[in-house]
Amino acid sequence: MSTHNQGTELDLSWISKIQVNHPAVLRRAEQIQARRPVKKEWQAAWLLKAVTFIDLTTLSGDDTSSNIQRLCYKAKYPIREDLLKALNMHDKGITTAAVCVYPARVCDAVKALKAVGCNIPVASVATGFPAGQTHLKTRLEEIRLAVEDGATEIDVVINRTLVLTGQWEALYGEIRQFRKACGEAHLKTILATGELGSLTNVYKASMIAMMAGSDFIKTSTGKETVNATFPVAIVMLRAIRDFFWKTGNKIGFKPAGGIRSAKDSLAWLSLVKEELGDEWLKPELFRIGASTLLSDIERQIYHHVTGRYAAYHDLPMS
Amino acid sequence: MRTGVIGLILPSTFSFLEMMWRICPALAVGCTVVALVPPASPTPLLLAQLAGELGPFPGIINVISGPASLGPVLASQPGVQKVAFCGALEEGRALRRALAGEGAELGLALGAEALLLLSDAADVDSAVEGVVDAAWSDRSPGGLRLLVQESVWEEAMRRLQARMGRLRCGRGLDGAVDMGARGAAARDLAQRYVREAQSQGAQVFQAGDVPLDSPFYPPTLVSDLPPASPCAQAEVPWPVVVASPFRTAKEALALANGTPRGGSASVWSERLGQALELGYGLRVGTVWINSHGLRDPAVPTGGCKESGSSWHGGPDGLYEYLRPSGTPARLSYLSKNLNYDSFGLVVPSALPAGPETGPTPAPPYGLFVGGRFQAPGARSSRPIQDAFGNLHGYVAEGGAKDIRGAVEAAHQAASSWAGQSPGARRALLWALAAALERRESALASRLERQGVELKAAKAEVELSVRRLRAWGAQAQAQGQTLQLGVLAIVCPDEWPLLAFVSLLAPALAHGNTVVMVPSGACPLLALEVCQDMATLFPAGLVNVVTGDRDHLTRCLALHQDIQALWYFGSAQGSQFVEWASAGNLKPVWVSRGLPRAWEQEAEGAGPELGLRAARTKALWLPMGD
Repeated sequence: MSTHNQGTELDLSWISKIQVNHPAVLRRAEQIQARRPVKKEWQAAWLLKAVTFIDLTTLSGDDTSSNIQRLCYKAKYPIREDLLKALNMHDKGITTAAVCVYPARVCDAVKALKAVGCNIPVASVATGFPAGQTHLKTRLEEIRLAVEDGATEIDVVINRTLVLTGQWEALYGEIRQFRKACGEAHLKTILATGELGSLTNVYKASMIAMMAGSDFIKTSTGKETVNATFPVAIVMLRAIRDFFWKTGNKIGFKPAGGIRSAKDSLAWLSLVKEELGDEWLKPELFRIGASTLLSDIERQIYHHVTGRYAAYHDLPMS
Repeated sequence: MRTGVIGLILPSTFSFLEMMWRICPALAVGCTVVALVPPASPTPLLLAQLAGELGPFPGIINVISGPASLGPVLASQPGVQKVAFCGALEEGRALRRALAGEGAELGLALGAEALLLLSDAADVDSAVEGVVDAAWSDRSPGGLRLLVQESVWEEAMRRLQARMGRLRCGRGLDGAVDMGARGAAARDLAQRYVREAQSQGAQVFQAGDVPLDSPFYPPTLVSDLPPASPCAQAEVPWPVVVASPFRTAKEALALANGTPRGGSASVWSERLGQALELGYGLRVGTVWINSHGLRDPAVPTGGCKESGSSWHGGPDGLYEYLRPSGTPARLSYLSKNLNYDSFGLVVPSALPAGPETGPTPAPPYGLFVGGRFQAPGARSSRPIQDAFGNLHGYVAEGGAKDIRGAVEAAHQAASSWAGQSPGARRALLWALAAALERRESALASRLERQGVELKAAKAEVELSVRRLRAWGAQAQAQGQTLQLGVLAIVCPDEWPLLAFVSLLAPALAHGNTVVMVPSGACPLLALEVCQDMATLFPAGLVNVVTGDRDHLTRCLALHQDIQALWYFGSAQGSQFVEWASAGNLKPVWVSRGLPRAWEQEAEGAGPELGLRAARTKALWLPMGD
């Protein structure tokens, strides 16, 4: 990533009068899903674009170097070669945007990517992922260790306690410290919106995170009961747009968790296009955190190219 | 029971849903429908064909494709009992005038403009989505007046303009567009409006991905339009939004209620108290809070003021197609040579026939206006004869100025009366009932002088007292209803006491203030009752004006600030009232010159009276956080 968001001074007046009306946002969310369908060859093109936004993720307790290796290979070759050839896209360098793993597996990921000859970034989750309920000292140390191991993007989780008790200055302070600990690495701030209680809190937390210097704001860890939903995304995208209008800085957006089907991914692309515009539809400003999504996209592309529906075993595992 | 044959007249830009909202309830209660549709729409013909295939009941839906000029022809056909019209204001007015005197009752749903009120406590982004729903989508009925609180004006305009840039217009069946087109006529109307607005000093902003060819018109935002300009008074066409700022909630209500249209509105504010206050204060048929355009078949939808007073949906929608059991079919009573310009204009002067003999009459009654007896503007009185030809008394000769004063007094009393609790209303009606009981002998003797037997006179007084009590009890039982405002009632000549009380009680019980013209044959009974009302009722609640009935009727029917008029008089008078109501489109109820059995429960105290004395309003408040 070239330049980082330097953040701004904390200005609570940006969030003090905010009210978000939940039923109205729900209505907008339903509308977006229904109103912008994409078909045929445009759908295939949008799906390939969606592939370039994926942060291919594995965050399980049973990750070892073997499945990390498989993951990194899949990140370099996300769609089967012959399908890409049929679409005449085999030489466009289509890879996923990044690979996302736990801090302890960062070394394996870096090694595997080097072996494959791919220079996409390795993103590491940090700061007590997923619950964030550990001491600040250890959380900061995690970030530093992950950066040392070679992660160039860090996904941190915010302290939900601070949001639910309204301690905005403390939240700002913590994220500023994460920013410093990241150094040159790119900072994504996970808001864990499923645990924030209301859409108004989501907006406020988004603003604070951006003011404190996040390069991206991310909806969820993927481990909550409710992860990335359209209403929450609409609120976060509106916050990004408001921050851009106030400061001129473009902050990126990443939904994560619960995005499994290709159709969903198209709806997400439409949402970003509608709310923020085409400038945000590039990997520097938009990512999708997913693992099984890639398989579904590959099957859709298989269907577009061959006219037949593939079985899961027809396509390489990730 | 069901009404009978319903005639349905649809404008050239009707939506299928609007048509179904009127056909379905009519069929559901057992009426049959004849619809007049513009020639360019084949869909209703298909509907009629499907209905015709239903076997045992051919002819429940009949569709005629023809020009709008056939409307009055359809409406004046002998079998048609009710005509439902939805469309533009001027066409509705013309139809009202054309149908005066015909048998059919007229239900109007006019105009398509909506209002959106954005306060500073709103979620502005969501309100902007509300504007899109209200004005720039295929679901929106018409244009939008947007009132934005000054402190959020800049923010709101910026977000609106950004949102407009993302709208897409195209052919309706393309699934990825936000709005389509509504024909060349609608486009021309919008274009003309925008050009005029610009020439009157407004700023116009248009955006969106719109095809350049003919019937498509881009989403348009008009701001800085001076409030006194003609465009600000006219109805806003689709897809135009006219935005104006306001400073406080009170000013917002004044601006919002300051147009003759009263269809639907939405209020955007996260402060519950403020949202409800604005919602209750807006004079419209439907209010949505923090949302726009929600509809449900079980909720009545309609308007007030010049948006017409017919309803669809909910029980009110069904009542449109029903009439009280036992009422005969409505027939035309048209009198072709009625001169509307001269009806009731001049009061015939009556010179006394000869020297007056008999005992010295009591001093003349004044008009009962504003809670006390006053002398009439014309400073003259008219004599009232009793059944035996003797002089019974003198009553004031009221005229146009007195009607004006009475209506003003009624308006002044209106807001405090509407705010009274149902219990307080009951108490007042019961107090009047008790006062009438005490006055029984005086009232009975006056009735005797009018030729009523003593026993029947006493029964009439008793029945009047009972009815007052019954309406009072009902007022309390059904809780808060929405009043119409100022109700003008012209009482029938017969049953001078009973009819007077039977009409007064339901009007008051539902929170209205009244201006009444009592029986012409014997107004003295009504004026006796006024003596009690002077002490019991707040000033201006009930106003009674005596004089030449036709002249007073003319004044009331042409008055623009009366919310409804009930006329029980001659056939010519009824026709004039229907014709003149086109002025401010007030709902009217006329007797068509036919007598009414006031002593019977069904006609003298039935639910029809209650339904006509109140109106409905729907308030939507979605919940969730």
